[in-house]
Amino acid sequence: MGDQVLAPPQLLNVQINGVWHQFPKGTRVIEACEQAGSYVPRYCYHKKLSSPGNCRMCLIEMGMPKMGPDRKPEVGADGMPLINWMPRPQISCAQDVSEGMGVRTDSPLAQECRKGVMEFLLINHPLDCPICDQAGECRLQEFSVEYGNAASRFLENKVKKPKNIELGPRVTLDDERCILCSRCIRFCQEVAHDDVLGFVDRGSHSVLTAHPGKRLENNYSLNTVDICPVGALTSSDFRFQMRVWFLKETKSFCTSCATGCNTIIGTREDVIYRQTPRENDAVNSSWMCDYGRLNFGYLQSDTRLLQPEILAGDKLIPAEWNVAITHAVAQLKHFSAWEIAIIASGRMTNEELWLTSQLAKILGVDLIDIVPRTGPGDDILLSADRNPNTNGARLLGVTSVPGAKLREIKDDVVGGRVKALIALGENPIEIGLTVEQLKALPAFVVMNILSNDATEAATALLPSFGFAEKRGSMINGKGRLQRLNRAVRGPGQARDDWEILRDLIQAYSGRNGIYSIEDVFRQMSEAVPALAGLSLSKIGDLGVQVMESAK
Amino acid sequence: MDPTNTRISAELERKMDEAIRRYPPDRKRSAAMPLLYLWQEKFGFISDEGVRWIAAKLELQPINILELVTFYPMFRQAPAGKKHIRVCRTLSCAMAGSYRVMENACTAAGIVRHRDENGMRNPISVSADGKCSIEFVECLASCGTAPVCMVEDELIENVQPSAAAALLNPDPSIQNPQLSSPHPLEHRLIFKNIGRSDWTTDIDCYLRDGGYEQLKAAIKMSRAEIVNEVKTSGLRGRGGAGFPCGVKWSFIKADEKKPVYLICNADESEPGTFKDRYIIHEDPHQLLEGILISCFALNVKTAYIYIRGEFPEGAKILEHAIEEARAHNFLGQNMLGTGFDVEVYIHRGAGAYICGEETGLIESLEGKRAYPRIKPPYFPAVLGLYMCPTIVNNVETLCHVKHIIAMGGGPYARLGRPNNTGTRIVCVSGDVQRPGYFEIEVGAVTMGQLIYDMAGGPRSGRTVKAVIPGGSSAKVLRADERFKLKMKQPDGSIAEQEVSLFEIPMDFDSLAAAGSMAGSGGVIVLDDSRDMVWTLNNINEFYAHESCGQCTPCREGSLWMKKITDRMLLGGGVVQDPETLKTVADNIAGRTICAFGEACAWPTQSFVEKFKDEFASRSQKPVPPAMPPEYTPGELIDHERIATTALPRNPGWEETATAGTI
Ligand SMILES: Cc1cc2nc3c(=O)[nH]c(=O)nc-3n(C[C@H](O)[C@H](O)[C@H](O)COP(=O)(O)O)c2cc1C
Ligand code: SF4
Ligand code: SF4
Ligand code: SF4
Ligand code: FES
Ligand code: FES
Repeated sequence: MGDQVLAPPQLLNVQINGVWHQFPKGTRVIEACEQAGSYVPRYCYHKKLSSPGNCRMCLIEMGMPKMGPDRKPEVGADGMPLINWMPRPQISCAQDVSEGMGVRTDSPLAQECRKGVMEFLLINHPLDCPICDQAGECRLQEFSVEYGNAASRFLENKVKKPKNIELGPRVTLDDERCILCSRCIRFCQEVAHDDVLGFVDRGSHSVLTAHPGKRLENNYSLNTVDICPVGALTSSDFRFQMRVWFLKETKSFCTSCATGCNTIIGTREDVIYRQTPRENDAVNSSWMCDYGRLNFGYLQSDTRLLQPEILAGDKLIPAEWNVAITHAVAQLKHFSAWEIAIIASGRMTNEELWLTSQLAKILGVDLIDIVPRTGPGDDILLSADRNPNTNGARLLGVTSVPGAKLREIKDDVVGGRVKALIALGENPIEIGLTVEQLKALPAFVVMNILSNDATEAATALLPSFGFAEKRGSMINGKGRLQRLNRAVRGPGQARDDWEILRDLIQAYSGRNGIYSIEDVFRQMSEAVPALAGLSLSKIGDLGVQVMESAK
Repeated sequence: MDPTNTRISAELERKMDEAIRRYPPDRKRSAAMPLLYLWQEKFGFISDEGVRWIAAKLELQPINILELVTFYPMFRQAPAGKKHIRVCRTLSCAMAGSYRVMENACTAAGIVRHRDENGMRNPISVSADGKCSIEFVECLASCGTAPVCMVEDELIENVQPSAAAALLNPDPSIQNPQLSSPHPLEHRLIFKNIGRSDWTTDIDCYLRDGGYEQLKAAIKMSRAEIVNEVKTSGLRGRGGAGFPCGVKWSFIKADEKKPVYLICNADESEPGTFKDRYIIHEDPHQLLEGILISCFALNVKTAYIYIRGEFPEGAKILEHAIEEARAHNFLGQNMLGTGFDVEVYIHRGAGAYICGEETGLIESLEGKRAYPRIKPPYFPAVLGLYMCPTIVNNVETLCHVKHIIAMGGGPYARLGRPNNTGTRIVCVSGDVQRPGYFEIEVGAVTMGQLIYDMAGGPRSGRTVKAVIPGGSSAKVLRADERFKLKMKQPDGSIAEQEVSLFEIPMDFDSLAAAGSMAGSGGVIVLDDSRDMVWTLNNINEFYAHESCGQCTPCREGSLWMKKITDRMLLGGGVVQDPETLKTVADNIAGRTICAFGEACAWPTQSFVEKFKDEFASRSQKPVPPAMPPEYTPGELIDHERIATTALPRNPGWEETATAGTI
């Protein structure tokens, strides 16, 4: 076992379009070609799924080393094996490279094959690109420009198939656009473990469908939309909302559970239109769950807090930020350390949690915890821990056993021992406090993004940003440090959480030295060994492992 | 209470459980087709309830069953009439008048046939009184007695269009045609017993004739010896590809750890081929003996006979033969005291031609749509049935194994010609006076002898125009073509010689050298009355109907070619059509998952190439301007505005866990 791990991968010599390259054993021919700079178009192949070889788009010419009479490869003038080319084109998506293999991706035969397949795919395809959601990211459109025939010589009636089928609550199907590549079927079988899609009828009349009694409604259904190479499967949520080429793309990750699936957030003019998964084999492969994917609407909700407010008399009134901060700090100053409690959140970034822990330190507060958030998990991606940064909260000392202190906080608020409560990104009603009990608090400082019954009870209300509106880092359930990037600007007067926390600290202690989020990270990395030497930019798009992945 | 449970009788469920036991315990899915048959027998068709019930029974999803019901034409989703008639519409029957049979039968039964332009399924048309229903089906493997029909499970041969009404009340006293006795040019091994007046299908008759002696001899040999004899015999597969059987067998490792399976391919569905039918129906034990010898040689403990759905009688005969053989301990536990356990099971197809392709067959046997697999990596001998090493052989091939053991590989190899050894059954249908099957020594008979001497030549006043020599997928050969073949000269030397169609010896290599193939041995003769565009259109319809639809070129190309020849027949042929036909076919052949690609492309390639004039005369219209787009943009947008249910932001799958959603 041990030496197997240590042994360098065996490298194989493969000739691609006349040039010899080396690839590790086990490399698919189609991947090898891509790595060598000769992209082979494909429809059915997806590297995370099995290869049925049905679209025939990836046909190439292939050859094997020519064997001499001594059954050894014959060698040419360049010292490399001579190649015996196979008369028939071969698909490149289902075979691994082998020693001395030759591949031609652009030979006249290979080009002719692609052209032929493109023509076949287009003859029965409706030409409705003008109203197709996939337009702009459609492989059919893309390849037909590159490999298609300009003029159609198809004079017959096209095959009519069902259109506008609700395959499930979130996915809509247009069978006329479907090129029967079976990616979606294989995804459901192999990744989602929910075998609900299939083909019915035969030949050119085959159609993709789900049985009416068992629809495509699993929590991973929208991945089929991502991998559908054409516009056959569309997201009912995203349909007809926005042309994809107008979308700005921001790399980020999902904050709806501890998995932290890597994403691309598609936005336009500060509105989020969709989230799609971004490949990261250490986290989410190429997938994400529907629940996380669609959980961004609240950022555009009517109930967003847009304006800092302070309690004046018995009413919350709008205030300038500096007034609100000063007001909050002035209130807190009335109380001794043991009279203050902090409810923080496992949804906060590391930077925010770090500043929260600093604030707690300055205030001398001991009663601090995060609110655990759980739900059913699965063994695909979704974690039972619905907080994206429980590990960060642990690492940065905001909690040791998440939720262990909440009972005490609640009892002390109810019992009147705690007189000042700071709620950061959480609603204390969820830990069992009532609005009346919160209203009775002499000081109740709330930082949050949406209004709720608890925010009504605040003495100082500090509107902050959601995950797509800010930068920062989190540590997922497997101990991987990942980076959020800002996709949209926050609404109204709302501010970035770390700035709010920094201002609170400054207003309290006058201490300074933090001008940017990078400064926060630097402070944090100097203090926390697991983060030593890192910076936000060093985290990169795919994250860095900073804790044991056992958790 | 689920209403279904009350309807499923204990008897039916017992039969289903029995069917399930024929497959490995973790491969229950394989029983999907048998269960669908049982359901359809009981309830007449497969309702949605049936789909769900069977899915639940096999621990599958309903879609897995729906996929099958819609793939295999013999499963129906709506009731048929009390008496269901299937009329063969494929080439030999169509030439013999089966379209008129259909028309006349419909008139007699008062059926208005509706055509389903869109669906690939030939829809079943039911008479108003529900007494009778009728459908077109593809080749029933009885082309020698064309036109043929099936009334319920019974084959009716030589149905004259004028007598089509009789299909509604077939006269049981009308005997199917006598089985022919051998022609002097024949050399019968496999068909030795066919047509014998004293011959019956029961095991006693077989044993009286020396049956199972070869099995007894084989079990005294070592496995390697048997494989060697088969190798020495030079036996080439009779299913179509002509692959050397011994070579195929030697792919199975002697020390193989996984179970090895043997599948007898009894799907016989290449149009023009009707030999396995007679082996199965007339001499089932010969096949069984061949299978059992092969099982022993390959250490196969479970063999399946995949028999086409249109042979219901054949399936029964084989089931019975298996029981008889079991009673004699020719199979079962500790076969003949050898310590070797072997079981043979019947698995019925359901009307899909592609199940003849060996990997499609394997998928079908696994309870899936018969989608052929890519090779590499799924060579059956390595990753076959249940991803175990599997040998698939044709019915006739397996019968030859018995004779190889009887004769010895060396003597067997002296039959026929080098590389084309043994005997083989050729089936002649179409425009000849005495269509039928003839077992010949491979290469010992020429095409001319076969067509003129054995099959009686064309009808009087007619001449042979063309021959399709190896099943409808083989490239057509013109009667006036000249071929350059390497032929053995009287002095023993080999020299290239120019020959006519009728001088071509009926063997694998000669027909390949002539640019076609021996294929499945189905010779279809076309006389000078035949319109080649019509002929090709009939063939194209077969392939468009039978394409499994998995891979792009074949799925789209086969239907496209059919649509072009359709249009040409209707008078709409444009100048470009022959060229388009040719290039479409060129874009299919060699680029598909399975050899169906060639099978559907070769007819078009060869007909268009060899009958240029006929095709040109049917394609005289100028090429029309480009078609308007399918929909105008306006229509498209209206079409797309069909309301879809608005969705809440809440994904809705996890109602309880609100804590997770802000
Ligand atoms: C489209 C297609 C249809 C076929 N149909 C049959 C068939 O009906 N019966 C058969 O024995 N072989 C059929 N074959 C050939 C089988 O794939 C396979 O080669 C054969 O069963 C092997 O047996 P053999 O070596 O004994 O000939 C078909 C092949 C193709 C490509
Ligand atoms: S819907 Fe899309 S992914 Fe699914 S088979 Fe059709 S083209 Fe492929
Ligand atoms: S699994 Fe978790 S992180 Fe991934 S998309 Fe779903 S909720 Fe988001
Ligand atoms: S060639 Fe035709 S029959 Fe064979 S896999 Fe492809 S579509 Fe199916
Ligand atoms: S990508 Fe290779 S066949 Fe589809
Ligand atoms: S039985 Fe009708 S064509 Fe073969």
